[in-house]
Amino acid sequence: MSTNSQPDYDKPGDEGEERVKIICLGDSAVGKSKLVERFLMDGYKPQQLSTFALTLFNYKTQIDGKTVSVDFWDTAGQERFNSMHPSYYHQAHACVMVFDCTRKITYKNLPEWLKDLRTYRPEIPCLCAANKIDEDMDTTKKSFAFAKKNNMPFYYVSAANGTNVVRLFKDSIRAALAYKHNSTDFMDEIMKELENFELDPIPSKVKDKEKETEKITQEKS
Amino acid sequence: MADTLQILKCGVRFDPPALVLNYKDRKTGKLRSRSMPLRNFNKNSGIDRIMQELESNPRHSKFIRLMSPAQLQRLLTIVKDKLNGLSLEASIARNNLMDQINPEENLNKVDPEILQRKKLLMDSSFEKKRIKPGDPQFEYNVEVDFDEVAIETSNWDSDNSEIDF
Ligand SMILES: Nc1nc2c(ncn2[C@@H]2O[C@H](COP(=O)(O)OP(=O)(O)OP(=O)(O)O)[C@@H](O)[C@H]2O)c(=O)[nH]1
Ligand SMILES: [Mg+2]
Repeated sequence: MSTNSQPDYDKPGDEGEERVKIICLGDSAVGKSKLVERFLMDGYKPQQLSTFALTLFNYKTQIDGKTVSVDFWDTAGQERFNSMHPSYYHQAHACVMVFDCTRKITYKNLPEWLKDLRTYRPEIPCLCAANKIDEDMDTTKKSFAFAKKNNMPFYYVSAANGTNVVRLFKDSIRAALAYKHNSTDFMDEIMKELENFELDPIPSKVKDKEKETEKITQEKS
Repeated sequence: MADTLQILKCGVRFDPPALVLNYKDRKTGKLRSRSMPLRNFNKNSGIDRIMQELESNPRHSKFIRLMSPAQLQRLLTIVKDKLNGLSLEASIARNNLMDQINPEENLNKVDPEILQRKKLLMDSSFEKKRIKPGDPQFEYNVEVDFDEVAIETSNWDSDNSEIDF
């Protein structure tokens, strides 16, 4: 894959829409592909027998009344594919970093992924997700130092039952747009959001989420 | 039509290499056996390709579909090990290892066939936990805030294997 075969994400798309690129990173078999497929819902594909080096999923959405075209880049965690990294990172606006909460090694490898990411994209926002919580709900009672230390918003997710998958990817799109519009201030912004996360269980920044969140909060109480 | 067939047992034959399946035909109640020769199978064959060939073979596919992909892969690996001169005991031991998920094992580095095997295993528990469109509990957007109060530090952070984040 060569860099010049990529769309230019700094330019608007054919219909003038804004374009962003979001990349997924993490060890092999943590569930990166299943998470993207669960978010996009274009039917679970029949199980993919061989792991392809790269899959690109396009997703169009409306944010604040404007059309945004999002490309999710999904690559295999296996080392034999690592030679493609520079073009994988090229122009990325945000990163979703995933580990498997049933396999410790995938958590221990996160610093390596982050180091790699920061070599090519020192500033872009990075969101961290613990996947497969359906296998071990106790995970959701635990905090993980890696995300905190590196100022990453953190999500407990399951591609199998859908928990927080839409939230993770919607937040990644907002983070990508915020970065694109104002790269320098972005880390401050995400830190503010992180604080809000902890103080206030109802994320107030996203209007159309409020109803659903309220429903869940009511059911809990 | 395949639903009327119930798999009872499956295994392999080495000489000449073949998959053997015992099944019951629910319509007639009869017990039957089916053997599927593995014709172009040699010690260098890709298991992946052989699986695809069997799955698309017009004569065998309805029997192949009775097996789980993980099981099919295991049996083919045992035949291939034998062709490579491994004893049956050694092959079974090796295959049992491959059929385990070890939380410390780095799957970024393993052979693609082993990775695929592990993913097939993970797939069967994924399918059990999966809530998909059409299921009564299915909702596209599932947001859950986990209680921040009850939180404790993961012991994955406190062991001595910790690298400085
Ligand atoms: N129980 C459970 N299993 C999952 C979940 N997400 C993925 N899996 C299983 O984990 C395995 C790996 O998922 P993939 O989506 O292929 O993982 P990946 O990160 O894309 O892997 P590579 O492409 O090899 O880097 C699959 O067998 C899935 O069935 C989940 O939320 N819960
Ligand atoms: Mg994948």
